[in-house]
Amino acid sequence: MAAPLTVEGWDGRDVRLGQVEAELARLRGLSAAEGRGSQQRTSVMTHVAWVPPEWLDAAERTLEGMAERHPSRTIILVPHPESGQSRIDAEIAVRWFPAGDRSVCGELIELHLHGERARAPASIVLPLLISDLPVFLRWRGEPVFDGPQWVQLVEVADRVVVDSSEWRELRYRELAEAFGQAAVSDIAWARLLPWRLELAGRWPGIRDQEIEIRGPRAEAALLRGWLCARLERVLPPAASSRELGVRVEGDELAPQGAGVASPSDLLSAELERFGRDRVYEQAALAAAQLTGV
Amino acid sequence: MIAATTQNPLLEGLQVRRRPEPCAVVIYGASGDLTQRKLMPALYALAVRRLLPDRFAVVGAARTRESDEAFRARMEEAVRDHARDPFDREVWEELAAGMRYCTLEAPDAGAESRLSAILRQLDEERGTAGNRLYYFAVPPSAFEPLVREVAERRSREGWVRLVVEKPFGHDLESARRLNELLAERFAESEVFRIDHYLGKETVQNMLALRFANGIFEPIWNRQFIDHVQITVAESLGIEGRAAFYEQAGAIRDIFQNHLLQLVAITAMEPPIDFTADAVRNEKVKVLRSLHTPGPRSVVRGQYGRGFIEGEEVPGYREEEGVAPDSTTETFVAAKLHVDNWRWADTPFYVRTGKRLPRRETTIAIQFKRAPHPPFEETAAEGLRPNVLLIHVQPNEGMSLAIGAKVPGQGMTIRTVHMDFLYGSAFREALPEAYERLVLDAMLGDATLFTRADEIEEQWSLVDAITAAWKRDRPAFPNYAAGTWGPPSADELLHRDGRSWRRH
Repeated sequence: MAAPLTVEGWDGRDVRLGQVEAELARLRGLSAAEGRGSQQRTSVMTHVAWVPPEWLDAAERTLEGMAERHPSRTIILVPHPESGQSRIDAEIAVRWFPAGDRSVCGELIELHLHGERARAPASIVLPLLISDLPVFLRWRGEPVFDGPQWVQLVEVADRVVVDSSEWRELRYRELAEAFGQAAVSDIAWARLLPWRLELAGRWPGIRDQEIEIRGPRAEAALLRGWLCARLERVLPPAASSRELGVRVEGDELAPQGAGVASPSDLLSAELERFGRDRVYEQAALAAAQLTGV
Repeated sequence: MIAATTQNPLLEGLQVRRRPEPCAVVIYGASGDLTQRKLMPALYALAVRRLLPDRFAVVGAARTRESDEAFRARMEEAVRDHARDPFDREVWEELAAGMRYCTLEAPDAGAESRLSAILRQLDEERGTAGNRLYYFAVPPSAFEPLVREVAERRSREGWVRLVVEKPFGHDLESARRLNELLAERFAESEVFRIDHYLGKETVQNMLALRFANGIFEPIWNRQFIDHVQITVAESLGIEGRAAFYEQAGAIRDIFQNHLLQLVAITAMEPPIDFTADAVRNEKVKVLRSLHTPGPRSVVRGQYGRGFIEGEEVPGYREEEGVAPDSTTETFVAAKLHVDNWRWADTPFYVRTGKRLPRRETTIAIQFKRAPHPPFEETAAEGLRPNVLLIHVQPNEGMSLAIGAKVPGQGMTIRTVHMDFLYGSAFREALPEAYERLVLDAMLGDATLFTRADEIEEQWSLVDAITAAWKRDRPAFPNYAAGTWGPPSADELLHRDGRSWRRH
């Protein structure tokens, strides 16, 4: 992964969105004027992240790890609804990454939404979207599923990425209400891929075999939901454990593939998907049914 | 319960990459440059991405005497020098564990039985199941006896596939003979004639561009396109390959294969699907439709002394191993016509050469001018026709030249470029052509390989051109190294009121 050649930044307090666009254009022009060769903005999406303050460090680390993999405009929305004032503070950066004899830029817009301004995030995102490109929404933490922020941003997004392992409650039934509006991804589900590959490779024997699952709540519930839905039978409840593990007929399985994917890799993979993941939807609904949530 | 169903419900939604069946790859010509620079780095890249079969082996076969250990050490060095991925000891050890070497002392039945014994042993030790991919990275003279031996040694278990490098013959007659030799012993589906240009992402992207976008195909015809220019330019000279190049020249080295394949991909009709036969059926129709160009429509050249990147370089006739009065062409340009409904009267200008100013392979689709620009003549002075430029290499991508208003008072229009660079939109490194092609051959997918009838059509055109050349003696050298070919190449287009693209 290449480090950015240059980073141009700007920040402002109580800003208007027009100012943000103007500053982005100025920063792009600044780099070009400094004669660092032919530069261009190539975007394949707008990446919106809803990041409550307690998730900000983790979100920034994940984005840092993704570096230039997805040339995009990234808009991080940090809500501060309890703030006494109603205003938007902005930190923006234009980062240039080497691309052959040219360089390509990614734009990072971090908006802190204070007070009332945190109530209608879609109205803040819409003017900043890049036309005609898909919008990916990464929702950090547990959404308030009937809150205006979730409802509005899901409406704007083509794909919503959550991580149900970040939730206090496994609220798959409420998440399922978004399935018809946007494609939904779950990082907890993405972590199961090596296990799913391994289990799929055991067909047809696995059809009737005894399967025991243990692991973190979200991953274990989704894996169990998936197996129950696909094999059309009920498996025993998953045991709680820090690490995911599966036994088939008493034999411990090893997941396929090497190593554990980083949060950046997992998010990056989700940003490459477009269509609805019906198998996930089915697994999440089965998990909801089996766990009664 | 799922009863009596053989469909695996757990596979749905999993994007399981197709992995080849267990097999052994035999590389004939394992001591050569191609094996070190391309084949072994490609196998290593596939190993890094876990795209090789679970049970896999590589046997290097060549005349050079070498032990298994020495072969592995040489291949490790090749991977370290030429692979696109950083060297990973664990991946390498796994790949090298299935690596053997067999010294061939052709014609030597003993050597062949040694190779058979090695392959049988690998079947037992590595579980390669009798499946064989033979890669012929050998000179044409060595090809025929090896093919016969492979056919004789053919096992009843497993599959056999042959990957054949260019040159595939040196004229139509020799190509037909090779095709017959192969057809007597192998099915066409077992033969993979490689043209590495077809493995390049940008060449495949031409198919995506044309057939995955609704906006291009409706205008991809004589009504909207003025002409097409295809350039395969190299700044290098012959790099010590005088023996080969003196026989081949630019027309056999590049024009007969890469250039004509680029023409076919650009001009073909939409295939009904992306299967090997559907794609190749359409390509061969284009090759059959190519009108044999008359002598005035073909230009040949040979470079003299000149400068490349500020450095003086010798002329072709001064290169080591080249005859001082050589008439081998190092440059070819031609005006081709595809005689069909879509392309009638739309010329394809193609050129290839060595010691041109820079390395560049591009396909330029030049559209017709706007019929009636309502601007003053001076306003549009800087305006050129729309050009869709496909950069095959380097800087893989596409550009569309469009007219745009210069900001300010009045109306001045200039041409600007909208660029799509692979490297900036998709931040994954592009795979090397050989990675894709070797993997496809292991999978038995011949879509990106050249079929027997395509090869014969290509040679048929080349034979017609070279037959005319035999009648005169060219005044070579006729272009200086570091220039875009002889003046006659420019005249070829000037006669039609056109010019080569500005670089």
